[in-house]
Amino acid sequence: MMTEPIVSCRGVNKIFGSGELQVHALRDVDLDIMPGDFATLAGPSGSGKTTLLNMVGALDTPTSGEVVIDGQSLRGMGKSELSDLRLNKVGFVFQAYNLVPVLSARENIEFVLELHGMPSAERRDRAREILREVGLEGLENRRPAQLSGGQQQRVAVARALVARPSIVLADEPTANLDSKTTEELVQLMYRLNREFGTTFVIGTHDPRVMEHSKRHIELLDGRIASDERS
Amino acid sequence: MIASLAWRNIWRQPTRTALSLTGMAFASMLLVFMLSFQFGSYDSMKANILRIIDGFGQVQPPGYKDDPEITKVIRDPSGLIAELESLPQVTTASARANGYVLLANGERSFAAAVAGVDPVKEVRITRIASLIKQGRPLRADDDAAIVLGEALARNLRLKVGDRVTLLGTAMDGSVAADVLKVVGIFRTGITEIDRQIAHMPLDRFRETFVMDGAVNEVAIIGRDLRDIINAEPRLRAIAARHDAVYLNWGQLQPAVKQAITLDMTTASLMYGTLVIVVVFIILNTLYMSVLERTREFGVLLAVGMKPGQIGRMVWMEIIFLSLVGTGIGIVLGMGLAWYFGRVGVTFEGMQQIFSQWGLPPRIYPRMTPFRVLAGPSAIILLIAIAGIIPYRRVLGLEPVKAMNA
Ligand SMILES: Nc1ncnc2c1ncn2[C@@H]1O[C@H](COP(=O)(O)OP(=O)(O)OP(=O)(O)O)[C@@H](O)[C@H]1O
Ligand SMILES: [Mg+2]
Repeated sequence: MMTEPIVSCRGVNKIFGSGELQVHALRDVDLDIMPGDFATLAGPSGSGKTTLLNMVGALDTPTSGEVVIDGQSLRGMGKSELSDLRLNKVGFVFQAYNLVPVLSARENIEFVLELHGMPSAERRDRAREILREVGLEGLENRRPAQLSGGQQQRVAVARALVARPSIVLADEPTANLDSKTTEELVQLMYRLNREFGTTFVIGTHDPRVMEHSKRHIELLDGRIASDERS
Repeated sequence: MIASLAWRNIWRQPTRTALSLTGMAFASMLLVFMLSFQFGSYDSMKANILRIIDGFGQVQPPGYKDDPEITKVIRDPSGLIAELESLPQVTTASARANGYVLLANGERSFAAAVAGVDPVKEVRITRIASLIKQGRPLRADDDAAIVLGEALARNLRLKVGDRVTLLGTAMDGSVAADVLKVVGIFRTGITEIDRQIAHMPLDRFRETFVMDGAVNEVAIIGRDLRDIINAEPRLRAIAARHDAVYLNWGQLQPAVKQAITLDMTTASLMYGTLVIVVVFIILNTLYMSVLERTREFGVLLAVGMKPGQIGRMVWMEIIFLSLVGTGIGIVLGMGLAWYFGRVGVTFEGMQQIFSQWGLPPRIYPRMTPFRVLAGPSAIILLIAIAGIIPYRRVLGLEPVKAMNA
């Protein structure tokens, strides 16, 4: 049986700027992310990792080529439709500072559920549950500033996962973490992938992250240099 | 939760927010107090001027105001008076007859406006009785008596107890002549009144001027000018039933009305400027806070919040801020207006000018819902409209660019 890819990129090019300052960040990228993938996206700085993750997550649109997320093409979508698509299909974990500082850990998560229109009692339970899942029981009411970097990233992972998206994209999620915390965060994502089948694509330089990947994609100068499953 | 988020966002920069709130509160307080004060002074000015002679309103024969001829009359005022006094807003209605006459004392003679008044009722309408400086007011049992303005008495070289000769035209066109005893001399402080006005008993006046029970006007008064203003439609209807017209305070004292309008116009310019300055300062603060949060808005967009939702959140922040700021201002302004409403405000050395305008030496701010809410509402409304600027900036955000900002 053929499974449909969750995200599929066909002939994707991304060009930033114009004239002399023009940067060709992605060149003719063809890529399919399959359900259950736990993929790492590596490559030298400037190779286009972030740019590609942004395309895959509907944060940005290609200069040419097509991106299809869960059967929906991004072509011609307006800002509001792209927001909706991200809300319903994609979870993001960024490098750092991606929580709302005035909301507690639990509220940061509930917030996403509210955007989904979930009633408040259900929201609260769901947020508690997912925080327990990522090992933050007891820290629900702390604000981001009262949490360590690793704990903040766990909240971010919980927030990315809570609405059960089709795919979670993480761009250098461990860049600001020490090795022990990095290991814990990767283990967490890996476990979530195994237990719930959540699809992850993680942009990273970090060998400790790559160790766990089941699929390793290498970018070089905006092209896919290799794409191997293990 | 968006509302709660907006509320918390306001308090991220407590000092900045406190400063914004102080600015808004101060402006609102000033507006509440100044409007209460200004309108309060208009209230006393109107009431004082109207209480000298006119009353809070009058019923007159049609055309009498523009061309006050003694032949224009209300034939039998008793029914009219009873109907007017039956209104709860009207405390007293009093009939008057007016004649433009020559008053003479020996060689000297001066033109004057003599009114025949009901000495008992008139005490409740005009302040002439309380402004008597020599002698006494008119009494119910007076007959050939007259009280006159200080300047008029001085011009005629009259003292209390002297006799004065009156010459005019009676209602039937014959010569009206009488000799009256000066019982009192009043001073209102308003030059035209003190130089021209004299009061005598209505009955004697009607005899002298052959009026046969008719009068030229019925003046009314109520506890508060506002009551009479509110009763205007009914007063008009009553006047119409008696083939007469009703004149409100503005028609009786068009100059006062004009002066108030002029004063209000210049004051409005000042208030408007204050409101606009405050709105721009707040807008600037909010716009800065929006710029500072560009990255965060990028993340919110990434997790699926719509640009419009973020825009509304920012809009809510500015509205919350202005509600709190103006709310504090309203409370403070009401406190000030309440306090000075009790003790009054005096202006050293201004009494002379004030009295020309019928203002008492002490002015009492008076609050009404309009006076309290007009200024703060204007601030909130303009801020809500100005909020479109940060709102539009948020709508223009692109998630990736915003996160890299
Ligand atoms: N908004 C932009 N405007 C202009 N050039 C851009 C922009 N974003 C990315 N680029 C350029 O596109 C290329 C790819 O950038 P990208 O951020 O995707 O690299 P990366 O692989 O994520 O690098 P790093 O490991 O440093 O994060 C780089 O040359 C970068 O300078
Ligand atoms: Mg990058």
